[in-house]
Amino acid sequence: MPASHPQSLMVELPPDVAFLPAAAAAAENAAQVFGLDRSGALKLALAVEEFFSYLCRYAGREEPLRLTLSHGGTFVRMAFRFRAGEVSLRALNFAASVDVEGGGDSAHEEHDAELGLLVASRTTDRCSLESSGAGVYVLLAEVDRQYPEAEPLRSEQVLSGPVRVANPDGAPASEGQLRHAALLAAGRYPARSCPASFHRPARFADMVAYGQYHALLASDAAGRPAGLICWRGSGPRSVVFSGPYVFDANPDHTLAKETARLLTERFLAAVARTEPVCAFSERPTADVPEGWFESLGTLTLRGLTAEGDEGGEPETQAALFRHLREDVGGAVWAHPDMVPFLERQYDRLAFSRDILTTEERPIQRAPEHSLLATSFDRRRGLAILRPLLDGQDFAANLAAHVAALEEQAPEGQPGGAMPDILLHLDLSEPWQAALYPAISACGFQPRLILPHAGSSDLLVCQHVPANR
Amino acid sequence: MSLPIAELVPPHIRAFEAYVPSKPDPELMRAYKVDHLHRLNNNENALGPPPAAARILAGFETPRASIYPSGDCYTLRQALGERFGKDPERFLVGNGSCEVIASVIKAFCDKGDNIVTADKTFAVYEWVAEFSGFQARLIPLKDYGYDDMGMLRAMDGRTKILFVCNPNNPTGTWWDRDRMERFLRVVDGRAIVVLDEAYREYVDDERFPDGMELMERHPNVVVFRTFSKMYALAGLRVGYVCGQKEVVDYIRRTHIVYSVNILGQPAAAAALMDDAEHIPATRAMVARAKELLLPAFDELGLEHVSGAGNFVMVRTPVSDSLIYRQLMRRGVMVRTMTGFRFPNWIRVSLVQEPVMRDFLTAFRDVIALSRSDGQP
Repeated sequence: MPASHPQSLMVELPPDVAFLPAAAAAAENAAQVFGLDRSGALKLALAVEEFFSYLCRYAGREEPLRLTLSHGGTFVRMAFRFRAGEVSLRALNFAASVDVEGGGDSAHEEHDAELGLLVASRTTDRCSLESSGAGVYVLLAEVDRQYPEAEPLRSEQVLSGPVRVANPDGAPASEGQLRHAALLAAGRYPARSCPASFHRPARFADMVAYGQYHALLASDAAGRPAGLICWRGSGPRSVVFSGPYVFDANPDHTLAKETARLLTERFLAAVARTEPVCAFSERPTADVPEGWFESLGTLTLRGLTAEGDEGGEPETQAALFRHLREDVGGAVWAHPDMVPFLERQYDRLAFSRDILTTEERPIQRAPEHSLLATSFDRRRGLAILRPLLDGQDFAANLAAHVAALEEQAPEGQPGGAMPDILLHLDLSEPWQAALYPAISACGFQPRLILPHAGSSDLLVCQHVPANR
Repeated sequence: MSLPIAELVPPHIRAFEAYVPSKPDPELMRAYKVDHLHRLNNNENALGPPPAAARILAGFETPRASIYPSGDCYTLRQALGERFGKDPERFLVGNGSCEVIASVIKAFCDKGDNIVTADKTFAVYEWVAEFSGFQARLIPLKDYGYDDMGMLRAMDGRTKILFVCNPNNPTGTWWDRDRMERFLRVVDGRAIVVLDEAYREYVDDERFPDGMELMERHPNVVVFRTFSKMYALAGLRVGYVCGQKEVVDYIRRTHIVYSVNILGQPAAAAALMDDAEHIPATRAMVARAKELLLPAFDELGLEHVSGAGNFVMVRTPVSDSLIYRQLMRRGVMVRTMTGFRFPNWIRVSLVQEPVMRDFLTAFRDVIALSRSDGQP
């Protein structure tokens, strides 16, 4: 549960390796105060050491490096803010391989630095690079707190009315109620419909307590948990929801439908006057009330089936969406090859968008190395790629990522391949749109648009292996 | 290295959502590829202002644009005083009623204080309170109306203002004299009670309580009125607050002067003096629009709510924002109600018959589409 300690520690360090112990000590100390165990604290300290060493070499020397260590609730985050002209962070690529055999002394030093960065990126749970204005970057890494896994609850309860949903201004749900509801949801719904944290219910309860997730619980006349809906921010302009989950053995029960409607209505009321302009879900349940959301399209996922059978029939999953206010229109960037797909989708959805076309950038004008962020959901067998930095090696880098992901096993399937690979393109960035031919050539196909999910809309592309 | 700008901003402002108004009509028409746009989203009076106000606007001499207006709307306050039989010093005029809402909250709320209002009502009370760092206690509507008992239960020693939108936007429900009197008696002067009567001129019912009269017996009552609705001067932004002199004196300390423009002041005064035919004509237009729309909604099997005011709410079978976009493609702009915490409802302004017929044609089309395959 939230502690009373200050929630962040900020240190400004001269870009000089002599201060490496100071950086590492600050990280280890903050990590422990913020709730990581010994192992987690050492992982974070190691990441800070490696990033600091790397930045001492490559970041601008005229300004200090600012290290912020912050309590994220269920994780601890380190963030280095620095100024760099020609920064190469290719080692942060999930698929980066470091050739330690090549080059002379200088090349060896560079490779050593990149190897350290690679080690650091893989010891943390998430790692990303963000641009924060001209020449200013923020390098972020997070290490999660450890939570025990729990067995989902399978209940045959039939709800008794009336069902109530707590007022958002009222007393928040207790940790026990949240854990109970998460386990009931995990027991009733397939893994693809549940956040991973439902299987580690203490983590889910902490995520709610720390504001990473928001949750609404319903209870029936007997005071039993009747349903759950939860959501989190996804960028400044959208919220992503999961659910509604209804804990009634008979989904056709009128009260079950009423519970789903109440939860959905209260969820929308809770977010209606907040900053996000839309709500969407990539894992809606079958209990989403009819007519409340629009279908953005579907993804056919080859990942784990509802029963967890390897090699089962592919699952078709709808992506749902709704605006929280009137759409004021906007502009998106597109490579000419993308335009027909975008026009069809925007017309079907009745979205007002100006489609601005961009051509491929001459390769020699791009920096040497590109950077892709990779996030995994091993339970669902799903990997999502996002371009972070353009580079001359983008096509090769993307192909290397796909190859590396195909060697990654989903949870519970040692030796298997990651069945589903998606790529998100932020259509507010012309350079990302210009990557489309390389993305297409690598076997990705456009599937759907997620409005407002990035700085602008996101285009979701799915990798379709040649032999499928 | 300089601090990120966000670190300079107080947490309650960082958490606050900036209001994004809709784009100008030409931009929207270009975006939605239409050659006309019926504005049914802001409850504007499509008849236009009363003739005397229209003459003021037509006769405006352009050199006067270089002159500052009266800083405290002296002449307009004289006209208001004459109309309501009160001391002009008891009126404060603002750049629309939104400005006077901010003035009242600034005047009475201190750190740790709260305001009480409804959850599904005009959003500005809640917004101004929250971006000023005060808690807004939002009481759910009961049968689409303000819940007086719920509001009273929510009061505590730090409650400074109770906002009652009477009639309520967007449901049109209103408290009658008896209910209002009971409420004020229980409040018993422990907090300021704001009666927002933006739509009061649309009510033709003697049971409707007159805030101007109530404040004489309940000195904690403050009344908001506007020239944006019935008087059709929304583009000039003129609203006002009236209360007991002591109360208004405190509000004046936080109120911005020179905020009402040189054209709006005389136009508002003229509108006030020339409403004898304008008000009945507007009420007739609204009544005729209801006669057209409500049976059509019934015929479509759609739930609707319409009380006092020049608007009606209708529940849509699919997302209100989707209906909005589809109607925009047909040259009709309505207000989505998710932001009012009525998801899957739209609000439609009631205007002249030809426009209402255009709306119905487009609306029937969109609803039929939604029923044919689940979404338009």
